[in-house]
Amino acid sequence: MTTPATSASATSASATSAPAGPTTLGPAGSATSAPAGPTTLAPAAPGPAAPAPGGPAAGPASTPSRLVPVRPATFGRLVAAEWTKLRSLRSSWWVLGVGLLFLPALAASRMTSIAQVPEAVGSPGLVGAVYVTSGVVLSQLAFCTLGVLAVTGEYGTGQIRSTLAAAPARVPALGAKLVVTVGAVAAASLAGVALAWAAGAAWFDATGMSVDLARAEDARIVLGVPLYLAAVTALAFGIGTIVRSSAGGITIVLGLLLVVENGLAAIPWGPVQTFVTYLPSSAGSRLLQSEAVGSVITTSSSTALSPWGGYGVLLVWVVVVLAVAGVLLRRRDA
Amino acid sequence: MIQAAGLTKRYGEKTAVDDVSFTVRPGVVTGFLGPNGAGKSTTMRMIVGLDRPTAGTVTVNGAPYARHRAPLGEVGSLLDARAVHPGRSARDHLLAQARTHGLGRRRVEEVIESTGLGPVARRRAGTFSLGMGQRLGIASALLGDPRTLILDEPVNGLDPEGVLWVRTLLRGLAAEGRTVLLSSHLMSEMALTADHLVVLGRGRVIADAPLAEIVARAQTATVRVRTPMTAELERELRRRPGVGVTSVERDVLDVTGCTAPEVVAAAATVGVAVHELAPVRTSLEDAYLRLTADAVEYRSTPVPGAPAPGRASLGGSR
Repeated sequence: MTTPATSASATSASATSAPAGPTTLGPAGSATSAPAGPTTLAPAAPGPAAPAPGGPAAGPASTPSRLVPVRPATFGRLVAAEWTKLRSLRSSWWVLGVGLLFLPALAASRMTSIAQVPEAVGSPGLVGAVYVTSGVVLSQLAFCTLGVLAVTGEYGTGQIRSTLAAAPARVPALGAKLVVTVGAVAAASLAGVALAWAAGAAWFDATGMSVDLARAEDARIVLGVPLYLAAVTALAFGIGTIVRSSAGGITIVLGLLLVVENGLAAIPWGPVQTFVTYLPSSAGSRLLQSEAVGSVITTSSSTALSPWGGYGVLLVWVVVVLAVAGVLLRRRDA
Repeated sequence: MIQAAGLTKRYGEKTAVDDVSFTVRPGVVTGFLGPNGAGKSTTMRMIVGLDRPTAGTVTVNGAPYARHRAPLGEVGSLLDARAVHPGRSARDHLLAQARTHGLGRRRVEEVIESTGLGPVARRRAGTFSLGMGQRLGIASALLGDPRTLILDEPVNGLDPEGVLWVRTLLRGLAAEGRTVLLSSHLMSEMALTADHLVVLGRGRVIADAPLAEIVARAQTATVRVRTPMTAELERELRRRPGVGVTSVERDVLDVTGCTAPEVVAAAATVGVAVHELAPVRTSLEDAYLRLTADAVEYRSTPVPGAPAPGRASLGGSR
């Protein structure tokens, strides 16, 4: 199969006038229809009185001059980039907002229902810190979803290739994303706890409850909520990195929190009960348990672990899962 | 400069890239060709460290991609038009990429301006047409003012003006001394843009030479002649040794084995009028199809009863 050059001049290289359409240009080099000055990558000043850009002046085939001040992709810069990514997605704000608002919403809801039962007022089970922070049960679902999606959203869309092109060592990019995601969740849950306290305070008199950070247990529970939520978000983040699928990651994380831990905790057999104590959410939520009423997170009422010991067990889970995630991220093709 | 040595990638039993070695030099546009499944994309992904080679090495500007401390300043890549989160605006996507290398909004606005994304920069990338997505991918590749560019099908989906813009841009970048590796299935576009070609087939390098040389190698000396008296001319031509004649149309013959003046002389001998006479040039598409004829993995077979795919343009099908 060959193509005849209809005239004897027999040129093929410049024969295609097709691309330029009606405004056929002469030699390709002088084309001006393109959206901007064609060859220069760095129009030093896009303004009007721009002098001839330095690019081509360097002469052909020499090393191009550096007009764009590129700096090494340090961890701090990766964190800045991840923050830009987080804040520029509408879904981030939705999920953070929902997770935050669960705290005051549930606090108000629980307090009003207690206020309607006057005979209960004054009973030792009414621990203000627990009732004010009871929204943590729902908040964790929102924040864990954010933790999973922070990673799997990149795999699902192809964004991960841009991310890894800028940070080919990979693990620093994952670390930067973790810092930003967990930081955002910690900030949102701190704000949520403050709002929940303010919302609950309206019923403190009616229910006989109070929150006082001077009481060790109150301080542990109120400040434990952001700590707990940050840790389970990091866990979800690690699981998301391992499975790389939004649906799979969310199913695993919510299944673990809602079904597995509570389901096993309902089995009244000693060894199972002990096992459940060491599962991530059950262990970590020891931090949020009051000696008087237990925890709102899980039906497990074991006190085998101390509050901080339990949180420590959760952190071990987090570290192990993130370590596996980091190794897999390095090994696998993106 | 991109240097691949013994690059191999296996997925289980299947070998996608098989002991590939080549050098992409600065200062010219190198075209990367091959049928679907030949291993082009996999090779490009290995160059920028997205896929890990099973064996072999590849370096960019003297070091493996992952060793560069400011990789976007070394290599700009467009491997997939949709390497972008659809919920993020073009501007925010570019800003996030820029921040990783300490670049700010000014540089982002520069590449938005130079790629013609200005009017849509605030829109979410998920709403973009294929062509706008390509422009965003190219903008992203240009962010770090890289010394090397790797572009997989950059003109796919672009309008004619965009195609011309990419051609002009890439030739300009190469003229500045940068390294440009470009893949495309559009042979006519490749013929206008590339200076050098690396052709893959079934995971192996089947050609690595200047474009002109690859086309010249496939060149056959054929003369096309239009005459109202084809029978007489054919009879006369066939008397000469080594001359082949094939009928193209009712009044057109393709003649091999003799030059245009010899055809005219033969016509004069028998008093046949010649209305048109032209040497037939081999196009890059012809050369490519001949080169990869044995290496095509996914071939379309003619449907019985359908018209024969005479000069069907494989190259233009994408």
